[in-house]
Amino acid sequence: MSLKVLNPNAEVLNKSHALHMNINAAKGLQDVLKSNLGPKGTIKMLVGGAGDIKLTKDGNTLLKEMQIQSPTAIMIARTAVAQDDTSGDGTTSTVIFIGELMKQAERCIDEGMHPRVLVDGFEIAKRATLQYLEKFKTPVVMGDEPDKEILKMVARTTLRTKLYEALADQLTDIVVNAVLCIRKPEEPIDLFMVEIMHMRHKFDVDTRLVEGLVLDHGSRHPDMKRRAENCHILTCNVSLEYEKSEINAGFFYSNAEQREAMVAAERRSVDERVQKIIDLKNKVCADNDNNFVIINQKGIDPPSLDILARAGIIALRRAKRRNMERLVLACGGEAVNSVDDLTPDCLGWAGLVYEHVLGEEKYTFVENVKNPHSCTILIKGPNDHTIAQIKDAVRDGLRGVKNTIEDEAVVLVRAFEVAARQHLVNEVKKTVKGRAQLGVEAFADALLVVPKILAENSGLDTQDVIIELTGEHDKGNVVGLNLHTGEPIDPQMEGIFDNYSVKRQIINSGPVIASQLLLVDEVIRAGRNMRKPT
Amino acid sequence: MKEIVTIQVGSYANFVGSHFWNFQDELLGLADSPESDQIFKSHGLNMDVLYRTGETPQGILTYTPRLVSVDFQGSLGSVSSRGTLYNEIPETPVDTLTWTGPVTTHTSQPLKKNLFLQSLYLEENANLGSSRGCESENSDSHTEVQDEDIVQSLENEVQYWTDYSKVHYHPQSLYELSGLWSEINDFNNYGIGREAFSGGQHAEEINERLRFFVEECDLPQGIQFVVDDSGGFSGIAGEFLENIADEYTNIPVLLYSVHSPDSGMDSRNRKLAISRKLHDAVSFSKLSAFCKLIVPVGLPSLNTSRMSKYLCLEDRKPYHTSAVYASAIHSISLPFRMQPLGPSAQLSNTSGAVKIKDLVQMLAGQARQNMVTILDIAMPAPAFTGTQAQQSLLEILQPLTPEIAEGVEDMQALESMTVHGAFASGMQKSHSFEVKDAVQAAYLNAVERPKFSHLSIAQCPLPIPLPFPSIFGNLIGRNGELLDTPISESTSRGSLEVHSVPMAARLRSSNAVLPFLENRLANLRKFGLARGALGTELLRNWGFGKEDAEELGEALSNMVTTLNPASLESSDSD
Repeated sequence: MSLKVLNPNAEVLNKSHALHMNINAAKGLQDVLKSNLGPKGTIKMLVGGAGDIKLTKDGNTLLKEMQIQSPTAIMIARTAVAQDDTSGDGTTSTVIFIGELMKQAERCIDEGMHPRVLVDGFEIAKRATLQYLEKFKTPVVMGDEPDKEILKMVARTTLRTKLYEALADQLTDIVVNAVLCIRKPEEPIDLFMVEIMHMRHKFDVDTRLVEGLVLDHGSRHPDMKRRAENCHILTCNVSLEYEKSEINAGFFYSNAEQREAMVAAERRSVDERVQKIIDLKNKVCADNDNNFVIINQKGIDPPSLDILARAGIIALRRAKRRNMERLVLACGGEAVNSVDDLTPDCLGWAGLVYEHVLGEEKYTFVENVKNPHSCTILIKGPNDHTIAQIKDAVRDGLRGVKNTIEDEAVVLVRAFEVAARQHLVNEVKKTVKGRAQLGVEAFADALLVVPKILAENSGLDTQDVIIELTGEHDKGNVVGLNLHTGEPIDPQMEGIFDNYSVKRQIINSGPVIASQLLLVDEVIRAGRNMRKPT
Repeated sequence: MKEIVTIQVGSYANFVGSHFWNFQDELLGLADSPESDQIFKSHGLNMDVLYRTGETPQGILTYTPRLVSVDFQGSLGSVSSRGTLYNEIPETPVDTLTWTGPVTTHTSQPLKKNLFLQSLYLEENANLGSSRGCESENSDSHTEVQDEDIVQSLENEVQYWTDYSKVHYHPQSLYELSGLWSEINDFNNYGIGREAFSGGQHAEEINERLRFFVEECDLPQGIQFVVDDSGGFSGIAGEFLENIADEYTNIPVLLYSVHSPDSGMDSRNRKLAISRKLHDAVSFSKLSAFCKLIVPVGLPSLNTSRMSKYLCLEDRKPYHTSAVYASAIHSISLPFRMQPLGPSAQLSNTSGAVKIKDLVQMLAGQARQNMVTILDIAMPAPAFTGTQAQQSLLEILQPLTPEIAEGVEDMQALESMTVHGAFASGMQKSHSFEVKDAVQAAYLNAVERPKFSHLSIAQCPLPIPLPFPSIFGNLIGRNGELLDTPISESTSRGSLEVHSVPMAARLRSSNAVLPFLENRLANLRKFGLARGALGTELLRNWGFGKEDAEELGEALSNMVTTLNPASLESSDSD
């Protein structure tokens, strides 16, 4: 081989080897993930070398925890993780679909088919499937008041594949309400405006939605109130720390008085800033017993805290940058970067602000706000791995709801694959000339993998199930699969829906990667790292 | 209070950091122990600068480093990333509360704890037993692990930086990067690290952890940042630093970019060699952009350096080499923790306190504004007796910064030196005024004199903790004094034979660092910027377009011109 001549160190795999390497890697990854799929799948517990525990049923998390080495597998994993980044779900399905496409391709190629022809077939089938998806999807009208029921169904469908039913159902309401809370008409939904906070505490069923904000820190002064009602909230990004200004930070003073004067002058400018805030407080709280809370992104040093505490102000320092935005959305007012022109209009409002202490961890709740556009999902769990798992599920649920609102459509669960397969085999295949037909057929069969594995994970006989489902479909019924009995059901009645965009993304990206892998005819590993492993 | 938050990013940085925290832990232990020397009991250092006080959910007080450490997944060996301090009583056999369906468990082979960690564990349980007043007799029946065996096993077996760490870390401190999907050897350039950090949740999580520690600080004096700049971790650190510069505008960052000796090894592969050279240039340019003072640390070989007279170091053991760098960083950090005192400072145990901000101002804030400094150490520092020793102090200082010029004359050099635990004649610890006089005399006699020099002195020498590697030669005595005749047959002595060492360390801003900068600039120009250069494609893959790359070059050439205005004319011809 020519490359060998150029670089004797290069390792080269020839055509059939290269192809089988890719196919095996795809199948291997599929094997790892397939038992995870669906509401009857297994949860995986990973115990690390030092005894750390991770629990996951999420394909995305699992992929990230695995030390994947095979370049093919990495390529597939990256696609699947990208899937998660863009649409929030469907990682496992993507991996499984790619694996199945490769499996079907292997069969065809072993029978002597050229990968190029196969790939052409995939391309035709993909386009046809996407067109069919447009027809098949159930449109949902999202007016000013979205249909809460349908959002709940979508969220419940996702969450039930990650958490046990009672918990999933509880979280369903939470995530739907959270998204509806931050949604503003005519604006894209920014899920970052939902803060996800966790506490290591009691049981997972204590998880709740806080309409308002929970911050993971408290005030740093013993005399500040731990609980206050009727609060004006000042959201600011102003340093209340004594610091030497950069320019004339004269390290050398000619005498002690000069140094004292310098220090005093610098301290005074901080105190003036603090005083401006206190003036504002006195203005708005003069003839009532309202309270005043400062939440600052920058630092506040002890002398400033002292002055503020004496003025009866609660002050929090070093708030998350994102909380500046969230606070304004939750409480109103505006975030200020300077105390020079403070007006009462800058202030937000919260009915209740209180602190909750757990060991060294402090939480500040800003609640009872008017008309919030930001909220917090407070997850409670007895240990870290439980919290982490609920957190993942909540993120997926949130994105599921967001997708539904933006897609204005949903897809009936476990019914689409069967319907699309029948459509491909019965209709599309006839319109294709030549051997590309086989590619279309392989693609169609690969589509069935998701219902098959779901059936398998539920302990059902896959062949029976598929025959029954296709039979029902040919009679013209749209059917899904009841995972308890193996009987066909009407998913519309059951209220189980998938995201349209997730499905679309899977159909779109799966064949692209599969085709790329199939068209590889040589794997070259040149320029290997010659350093000895350390 | 002037708190410091420490950040360690990358494998070798954590090796260095682990030694650094061992020294701190040893200082804390010696201050409390009744048997220890007076010098350790009243060391005059404020440990709260580096440590934080906390409380577990059970109400037990904790004292842990104010630290954020970032490393590969799996780099913690047999230690859990959450540490052991905050663990609750073992939960009932792991219960899956969130799923009623089937569970599959994948258990990795539990890593065996080495002798040292085992003995720590035993000791802790024994303490726990005796403090509860029950079964304290039982703990004696444990087969005591011999210290000699521990030292021996550490010499041969250290694989992870946690293997020799005796410090309890806060659960927020140790962060493992998961989902990198690349072999450690392939994680070797700026681009790959930058990519790993920008994608996914890593950036947010790490920033959150830093915020956790900064929020607690009343008046942070600075961030002490150690980065392993030999691979992808400098990409991570670069992004991280950018965020810090953005978020904490007033907190200065003192950056040590450390390099393990072996990572500089020449590769026969031409492509890899180019990639490495470009990486060095890019990462230096990027890292220096977001900090106030950068200290490149890491000689290509320590074994062949001048230090080998007193120390026997094996270059291929990061456990050995990182100990030297950690000692230097410890010495430099001493003045940040000294209590500023009035005129009576002469009599106290420390003198010459500075804050990170002052140090930055001193070395980089004045006329020349050069932010790249050279780190020199003398380990151990010589005794201050007679005139010969005074001269030898400056001569014995060995640079730990690579690629620097020797014996150059620089009228504008600025220095900050820390001497601690130095001896006067015999076994007497010298007082700070003696040291001051001696150093001044040394400078007077020296050929090259800096324009300005600051001196910090502490009485307390560097304590040598048990898990310190056996790197001392046989010319070093029990308390780090230099001997004229070898003390023993064996060539290397460790923590059992040497209990403390006097140290001197110095940061200097001098044009001796020019070759270091010029090499980087030349490499970037040759491989990355020149027309048809071999590495343009590589730079683009790392996410640097033509303009970005030129900006990097600009930054480097500015640093060169700062130190050498003459270079401006010569480079115009390019």
